[in-house]
Amino acid sequence: MRSRFRYVLLIPALLFALAPVYWMLTISLKSEVDQFATPPRWFGFTPTLDHYYDAFVARGFGDYLLTSAIVAVTSTICALVIGTLAAYALTRFELPWRLNRHLSLWILSTRMFPAIVTVVPLFLMMRDLRLLNTRASLIIVYTAFNLPFVVWMMRGFFADLPRDLEEAALVDGDSRLNALVRVVLPLVAPGLAATAVFCLIISWNEFLFALVLTQTDAAMTLPVGIAGRVTQYEIKWGVMSAAASVALVPILVFALALQKYLVRGLSLGAVKG
Amino acid sequence: MPKSRRFFSAQNRREWLLPALFIAPALAVLLSLSIYPLIYSITISLQQETSSGVVWSFGNFARLFSDNFFLTAMAHTFVYGVAALSCEFLLGLGLALLLNSRMRGRGLFRASLLVPMMLPSVVVGVVWRLMLNPDFGAINGTLRWLGVNTESLTWTASPKLAMLSVIAVDVWQWTPFVFLVLLAGLQAIPEEPYEAALIDGSSRWQTFWHVTLPLLRPSILIVLLLRTMDLLRVFDQIFILTEGGPGFATETISLYIYRTAFRFFDFGYAAAMSFVLLALTNVISVIYIKFLQAKDAI
Repeated sequence: MRSRFRYVLLIPALLFALAPVYWMLTISLKSEVDQFATPPRWFGFTPTLDHYYDAFVARGFGDYLLTSAIVAVTSTICALVIGTLAAYALTRFELPWRLNRHLSLWILSTRMFPAIVTVVPLFLMMRDLRLLNTRASLIIVYTAFNLPFVVWMMRGFFADLPRDLEEAALVDGDSRLNALVRVVLPLVAPGLAATAVFCLIISWNEFLFALVLTQTDAAMTLPVGIAGRVTQYEIKWGVMSAAASVALVPILVFALALQKYLVRGLSLGAVKG
Repeated sequence: MPKSRRFFSAQNRREWLLPALFIAPALAVLLSLSIYPLIYSITISLQQETSSGVVWSFGNFARLFSDNFFLTAMAHTFVYGVAALSCEFLLGLGLALLLNSRMRGRGLFRASLLVPMMLPSVVVGVVWRLMLNPDFGAINGTLRWLGVNTESLTWTASPKLAMLSVIAVDVWQWTPFVFLVLLAGLQAIPEEPYEAALIDGSSRWQTFWHVTLPLLRPSILIVLLLRTMDLLRVFDQIFILTEGGPGFATETISLYIYRTAFRFFDFGYAAAMSFVLLALTNVISVIYIKFLQAKDAI
């Protein structure tokens, strides 16, 4: 009886969470007649891929998709390489003046800046460097944005790892860098992968920096492209939904792969769920 | 331990070289892209353009106190934050308690409930524009089909309902996050205190109040701090859903800063306002960092 009561509460919550997303998916697959039908057609419509064709072939969404992918992957790789080296040094070397602690906390604090605070000066800096409306500007900004996250996640994973194996490798005469690549990195590979997927999601979803730094078709990311269509006066519901549906697919796949590390990542390593 | 400590400690200057090389790139990136922009921002906030050129002054900061738009945007941010945080916390806690037991379909429930918070915020905006559109939206369409008069229910287009609508969307998107962190916290609580409470004959309410809540406190603190920081800076969904409108009805501080900088091109004043936001979030991030410090001795 008690467990039945549980389902009575949980099933509406589930519907509330999923129905809006489902509705958007149906809009992306509906002809205009079905989109504006009354009563609304939650089920029972003739699916069509016209809007996907319209968005990604006839309009510029294919380019936005490519930009989003290039920016997300490149910035993730940069942040991972730079951040992992720093995290390793911060956990495995004893630095003078308690620098391990001070540096770690300082790095974390940069992560807490609200985006709107740094977006104004970064816009002006990129304008001076003539990097506005380039993919490079976003790659640079996202690398910096993800870096504190990588350092904190990897710090946690390195700290969980016993030191004996590395010491053995070092005694065997390996160089420090060699020991890191040959022994340590394979052991933290799952953590490294989870961190990478997090960075990909954050970069893929990011909106404010992309909105401010890129306004041309050649450099616009998918979220900015979608937002541009939303705020125009004549809204193409189908095109917008098709683009948004494509934007969410990689995220859902990644998130499922990431379930085990989700809490840890979202709390910057505070909860080891 | 002492042996390995010595092994890893830098005994002379040459041994500092390697960690320094490892850390240097990260420091360079953060100094040039986080700290330098902050300094740049301070300088432009302290400059004002006048007919005789650029002068240094506190004018931009003085303006804050007499700018009604700024004060209204602050009030909106406060209302938005308090309303969304309390709803998200209560709903998230309820869901976590419901799902904290062995039951059929638990994995499916957990995974599905997480969908909203993983979505790009732009997609959240699109989803809810489709739901809330007064004429063609799914909500009003379904209500009309049920015989409800939806003439006054114009959601994001109505000055009265717009704020409520954007708050509801935030609750939809972020309750899952609260739920997830609290569920992880609940699952980390050992069995023994519950067994003891059972032996003492505590009621379920007493057990919840005296056992569960105190043990859940660290998770509650984490989630409240992280959510507060994010709520204070909210921008994306509101920008897509209402652009701060209708009129000024849903303009939060981040939207007002954006508008000042990139519509009116008053970068100095935008920078000054952003420091108010930074100061507010800084208080919270300092508490959060202190808390993390207490948790793990670095």
